[in-house]
Amino acid sequence: MSQRTERRGIHVDQSDLLCKKGCGYYGNAAWQGLCSKCWREEYQRVRQKQIQDDWALAEKLQREEEAAYASSHGVQTQSHSQSAAPHSGQATLGTFSKFEEKKTNEKTRKVTTVKKFFSPSSRTPPKKENQEGKTTSPSVSRHASFETDQVSRDFVDFLKNLQKPGREIHKQCRAFIINMSSKKDLGADELSECVQDFYQSMSDRLMSHFKGSSESVEQVMDQVEKYIMTRLYKSVFCPETTDDERKDLVTQNRIRALHWVTIQMLCVSMDEEIPEVCENVVKAITDIIEMDSKRVPRDKLGCITRCSKNIFSAIRITKKEPASADDFLPALIYIVLKANPPRLQSNIQYITRFCNPSRLMTGEDGYYFTNLCCAAAFIEKLDAQSLNLSPEEFERYMSGHASPRFSSSESNWLHPGSKPGVTATNPVLAQLSDNLELLSSLSSRQESLMEAAKNLQADLLSWPESVQQEVHDILEKYPLEILSCKVSAIDANNMDNDNLPPPLTPQVFTG
Amino acid sequence: MAAGGTGGNSGKTYSFKVVLLGEGCVGKTSLVLRYCENKFNDKHITTLQASFLTKKLNITGKRVNLAIWDTAGQERFHALGPIYYRDSNGAILVYDVTDEDSFQKVKNWVKELRKMLGNEICLCIVGNKIDLDKDRHVSVEEAESYAESVGAKHYHTSAKLNKGIEELFLDLCKRMMEMAQAEERLKGNGASQSASSRRGVQIVDDEPQATPAGGCCSSG
Repeated sequence: MSQRTERRGIHVDQSDLLCKKGCGYYGNAAWQGLCSKCWREEYQRVRQKQIQDDWALAEKLQREEEAAYASSHGVQTQSHSQSAAPHSGQATLGTFSKFEEKKTNEKTRKVTTVKKFFSPSSRTPPKKENQEGKTTSPSVSRHASFETDQVSRDFVDFLKNLQKPGREIHKQCRAFIINMSSKKDLGADELSECVQDFYQSMSDRLMSHFKGSSESVEQVMDQVEKYIMTRLYKSVFCPETTDDERKDLVTQNRIRALHWVTIQMLCVSMDEEIPEVCENVVKAITDIIEMDSKRVPRDKLGCITRCSKNIFSAIRITKKEPASADDFLPALIYIVLKANPPRLQSNIQYITRFCNPSRLMTGEDGYYFTNLCCAAAFIEKLDAQSLNLSPEEFERYMSGHASPRFSSSESNWLHPGSKPGVTATNPVLAQLSDNLELLSSLSSRQESLMEAAKNLQADLLSWPESVQQEVHDILEKYPLEILSCKVSAIDANNMDNDNLPPPLTPQVFTG
Repeated sequence: MAAGGTGGNSGKTYSFKVVLLGEGCVGKTSLVLRYCENKFNDKHITTLQASFLTKKLNITGKRVNLAIWDTAGQERFHALGPIYYRDSNGAILVYDVTDEDSFQKVKNWVKELRKMLGNEICLCIVGNKIDLDKDRHVSVEEAESYAESVGAKHYHTSAKLNKGIEELFLDLCKRMMEMAQAEERLKGNGASQSASSRRGVQIVDDEPQATPAGGCCSSG
C-alpha cells in the first residue's frame, strides 16, 4: 500500500515535463515550466521592462528636481529680471510661466527636502542613480518618517549578510515599491493581488536560491514583508477605494451598543475575581488594542497571538485545564467587546490582504486570526438567541431601557449600601463599591485628622495665654517683695569675706 | 518510515490543515490532546491550550506537518463554521456514540461541507466514547453506512482508552497526501505550486531544481 502511494507520487506524464511554450525541449518547474531558453527570453523581457521603468522614473525625478531647483533660483532672481531664468536649464522654460507661479512657489518649499537626497549627485545622469543600490529611492522616501527610515536601514543591514542575493532582493523590493506607488488608484483587491504575487515570486526565487531550506526563506520573507508593508502602509491601509472605514464605524458603534453584555451571557469560563485572571484579561485587552498601532501585518498578528495567549492563561487558571476552542472563542468575543479595538475591520482586512499567506493559512497565528475574524462576525450578527435572551429582553437592553446588571437586584441599585447583590452581579461594580468605601473611610479619617489638627491649633493658641494666666496668678498670689539690698555682682553674697586674698591682677611682662 | 527521515531524498513537506467539528462535549478536545500529548483528563497536561495543536509526521518517507484546528462546538457559533473550515484539507467530524443528537449534528456538518467545499476535503466521521458502549445510542451499522454514502471514512475511538486515534489521524494524512498528489498531477507541477500554496497547502520542493529528471528516476 505504502509502496503504491509512493509510486503514484512520482509518476509524471511525459507532456508535463516539456516546455510550456511547446518548443519541444524539457521544461523546469523553477522556470515556471519553461525550458531554459524560453525562460531566459521571458525573464529578460520582464527584466528589461523593469529596468526601463526604473530609468524612466529616475529621469522623471531628475527633471522634476532640476525644474524645482531652477525655479528656486528663479524665484530668488525674479525681482531682478525674468531673463535670469533660462540660465538655470531648459526644462524650466516650460513650467516657468506666470500662471504657474504659485505652483513653483510650492515646489520651492519641497525642494529643500528633495535636495537633501540629491545634493551630492544632483547633476549626475540618472543612470548612476540607478546603480546606487543602497540609497533608497527619493520618490518614496521623500516623505518617509523616521520609522520607515529605521526599517529600511534594518532591512539593508539584514540583507548585507546575504551579500549578492541580498542586493538583488533589495533591488526587487525597491522596484516593487516604486511600481506600487504608481498604482495608488487601484482597488484594494488588485493591490492585494499585486503584493501577494510579489510574495509568491519572491519566495519561489528564494526557495531555489536556498535550495529549499524553508527556515531561511521564511526569515528573508519576514524581512521583505516588514520592509514592503512599512513603506506601503499609508497608501494601502484602509484605502479610500473601500468602505473599510465605514465598516469600522459600524463595528465600533455596535460594540458600544453592546456594552451591557456580561461574561455570564457569553458563558465565558473566566473568573475575574481571581486577581491573576483579572490581570490576564487586562493584558489581553491591551494587546488587542495595540494591534492598530503596528504597521507590518506580521506584527499585528503578533498582537493577536499575545492577546490569545493571555486569554488562554486566564482560562487555564480558572478551569485548571487547557483551554479548548469551546472556551476560547467566547472569551475572545468578550475581550473584543471590552476592548472595542480601534479600526477592527480595517485591520482584519489589511492582514487578510497583505499578510504573507503561508503564515495566515496554517500557522498558529493564522488560527488566532481566524478566531478574531469569527469574533468580529459573531458580534456583527449577535442577536437575542446567541446570548440566550428573549427577544424582548434583548431589545430593552439594546435600547438602553434596562440594564441586565441590575434587573435581578433593582433594590441594590437604589440602595448601593446593600452590597451582596452587587457583588453577585458584577465583580467590577463590587470593586468599584469597595473602592468607594475605602475612599469614604479615607475621607472620614482625613476629617478627624483635620479636627484634631484644629484642636491642636486651638490648644497651642490658648497655651501661652494659660501660661501667662498662671504666671500672673502666681505673681498675684505671691507678690514680689523687693529686698532692701540690691545685689548686682555675682559674688555679692561673699561681700563680707574680707579675709580672702585680692583677686589676681594682670601683670605685664616685658622682654 | 525511518529511512526518509533526514530530508534529502524525501522530497516534499506537506502542510495540512485539519478542522475538528462537532457539538460541544463530544470529546473533540480530549481526542486531540490524546493524539498530540498522549494524555487524557490529566492534571499534568502542560499545554496552555488545546485549540490549536500541531504534529509532525513522517509517512512513507514524506514529511507532513499537521495543524489541527479545534472549533467552538456551541450551537450559537455554528454560523461561523465557514470561517474555520475555509482552506482545510481535512475535517474530523466527531460525535458521541451515546448521544443521538450529536450524530445528527455531524450529518448537518457533512451536508454543509460537501455543499461549500465539494470533494476537495477529506472527511472523517468519528464516533467517540466507545468505552461507554453499553449506553450506545447510535448503531455501528447506521453510522458506517451513512459515512459510506457521503464518501467519508468512519472510525470508532475512545480518547479515554486511547483507542483508534492513531489510526484515524494516520489514515487521514495518507488520504490528504493522495489528494494533494492527485491535484498536483492534474494541474501540472508549476501551476499547482502557486495555486495550492494560495489555499494553504505549501508544497515545498526540497530537491535542487537543476536536476528534476534525475531526481525522479533515482527515488523511483
